[in-house]
Amino acid sequence: MDDRLQQVFREIFADDALVVTDDTTADDIPAWDSLAHINLMFAVENEFEIDIPDDQLGSFGTVGELRQFLEARAGAR
Amino acid sequence: MTTRQDDGRDAGAGAMRTGLDRARAAERSGDDAGAVRWALAATDAGDDLAAWSAAAGVIARCLPRTASLSRGARVAVLGSYTTSQLSALLPVAAARAGVAVEVYECGYGQYRQEILDPSSGLYRFGPDVVVLAVHAGEAQLPAMSQDPDADVAAEAARWTSLWDLLVERTGARVVQHLFAIPPDVALGHLAARTPGCRATMLAAVNAALGRAAGSRVALVDCDRLAAEVGKRRWFDARYWHRAKQAVSLGCVPLLARHTGAVLGAQLGASRKCLVLDLDNTLWGGVLGEEGLGGIALGDGPAGEAFAAFQDHILELKAKGVILAVCSKNNDADAREVFERHPAMRLRLDDIAMFSASWADKPAQIRQIASTLGIGLESLVFVDDNPAEREVVRQLVGEVDVIDLPPDPHGYVRALASYPFFETPALTAEDAGRAAQYRARAQAAQLAAGATSLEDFHRSLAMVATVVPLDEVTLPRVAQLVAKTNQFNLTGRRRSQAELAELAADPRTAVLCVRLTDQFADHGLVTVAIASQEHDVLDIDTWLMSCRVIGRTLEDETAGLLVAEARLRGCRYVRGHYLPTAKNGLVADLFTRLGFALVEPAASHGVRLDGACSDGACSDGAHADGAGANGLRSDRPCSERPRSDGGMPEHRSGATSWLLAVDDAVSPPGLIQITRTDRELEGTAS
Repeated sequence: MDDRLQQVFREIFADDALVVTDDTTADDIPAWDSLAHINLMFAVENEFEIDIPDDQLGSFGTVGELRQFLEARAGAR
Repeated sequence: MTTRQDDGRDAGAGAMRTGLDRARAAERSGDDAGAVRWALAATDAGDDLAAWSAAAGVIARCLPRTASLSRGARVAVLGSYTTSQLSALLPVAAARAGVAVEVYECGYGQYRQEILDPSSGLYRFGPDVVVLAVHAGEAQLPAMSQDPDADVAAEAARWTSLWDLLVERTGARVVQHLFAIPPDVALGHLAARTPGCRATMLAAVNAALGRAAGSRVALVDCDRLAAEVGKRRWFDARYWHRAKQAVSLGCVPLLARHTGAVLGAQLGASRKCLVLDLDNTLWGGVLGEEGLGGIALGDGPAGEAFAAFQDHILELKAKGVILAVCSKNNDADAREVFERHPAMRLRLDDIAMFSASWADKPAQIRQIASTLGIGLESLVFVDDNPAEREVVRQLVGEVDVIDLPPDPHGYVRALASYPFFETPALTAEDAGRAAQYRARAQAAQLAAGATSLEDFHRSLAMVATVVPLDEVTLPRVAQLVAKTNQFNLTGRRRSQAELAELAADPRTAVLCVRLTDQFADHGLVTVAIASQEHDVLDIDTWLMSCRVIGRTLEDETAGLLVAEARLRGCRYVRGHYLPTAKNGLVADLFTRLGFALVEPAASHGVRLDGACSDGACSDGAHADGAGANGLRSDRPCSERPRSDGGMPEHRSGATSWLLAVDDAVSPPGLIQITRTDRELEGTAS
């Protein structure tokens, strides 16, 4: 897992011990509600200096899908 | 606090992460107080949302296990937009301001219902402080009003009646977020002259709320915060449309910090005393090495930066901040700068406690606090030296330490960004209040009454001070002599040593003139050097900084030269104009001052340097265009270092001019003249 993505999750959920994998979903993290999701998306945009389009915003079923999206974006640049 | 970049993404994120790493390490080792301290320090370093969220987590876990904060408050956040992030960050921001808070957040957009309904969760919570976190979209104002005064008054009254209800029902203090005014205005610049435009009305409502806020209502000026970071950054349409975030998530930490600071001030937790280092903080250079005349202050870019910093400090004093000095210096030397340096803004009587010694700074700071009878948690320490800042952080942790950037031009912003000098209200005792009112009245008079240039000059209340050429002034005088191109009659360049030698010669008079007015201290701006030759006072050098051209100072300087001639028993004053590529500005000066052109033959004996020739006299017909009011000031400034550093190239057409002392016309008298160069001889007039 990307260190920066791991760090964003730990900071947004204020949990230093949090470990996310490609298979992690919102159901695995109790605090991952719709509000936390907005914070998470903002923090990811900020950290990776990208804009996530509206139609992608709610489309990530797993952390792995988010990671792949970020990698695709990084590769596209 | 670290100065943040104004653009783009959070420049302080790296520094925040360092603080957070230390906070986590402390937390893991069971050091809750250390974890709190480092988490709070991390929030000083930047505005990164994720890092703030992490810091908020540390505070939520560790703060309750320490008893480090003596103040506590129950805070209700009532919002018109999604305020969950603000509510989540408020505990860390309030803890930074010195208050442990428990937060209640009303439902989305429910602020009005919660206040109006006596059985709402708000009243069950029993708040000590209510934060009204509202955004511009919530203001009940039309896009264009037919009756803006009425609409503004009604909107302001809607909020003040909510305040009244809150205070009546809870006794709580209210923290009102003023409206941040969106930058996207369809009317464009026409909005500025259209009172009925929504943006204009929003500003008017802000102003009305400012006037209406009594002692129980504090304001957070969100429009200023938004402008500070850039409104395009503050307003993020994507997150408004996605999640009703009226404040960009990247700006919520800033809003939280300032809300915390204002809230803390309401509860008496604001800082009271600014402790100032001296060397490289109030002036440039080390006094012990450079000496009184060698420090950078007032003149030159760095000197202006330090002077501007002092001006800002004086504004803090005017709002009630106590000033103290904490310096490693000889006490007498340090005080001498305050007493003698002409560009010092701060005076000794501005400083409540002056501590200059070779004792370590933590010891000096403890002494300052005990002498002033205030707690260490009231102090804020400012020092350019990172080592001194660190030792104070470590040994007197209660003291807040402001990080100054390496470049003095950033000092004002670093200090202005520090939010914990917030005061609930200015009281009648606050120093400088009377002066503020006086300045306001004067500004009004200026606007109303300046119908002529003379009136304008009078209204400036200019004071010219003739100062001695000594160790303090010599560097600036040498700089002026080396760099002044436009208003420079002879263009002669001289070294510091040559100037000092001239000044020591009793036949030579050196006039060094500072100019101040009600708005600014212009510093040392004019130099005239004249030598007595029998019954003639011969002007060897006469120059003036371009920043004060067009203010009649040259007329007054001529008057001073005439007075000098009289004092020495001379019958004539003789001037020379040596044309250079850049001094056409003063080609007409002697004519305008009533001097008569002398035939070339009569100018023999005049000391002219090097390439200058006194033989080629022009016909005196100079078409410079300077009008009756003196010199034009609309020329580009060329007072800057010459790349060659040598003599300007003199052109042909040098002229000499003579004025009989008895024929001299009195100067216009629009500038008050004082002299500090003549203490022993008395004032010459």
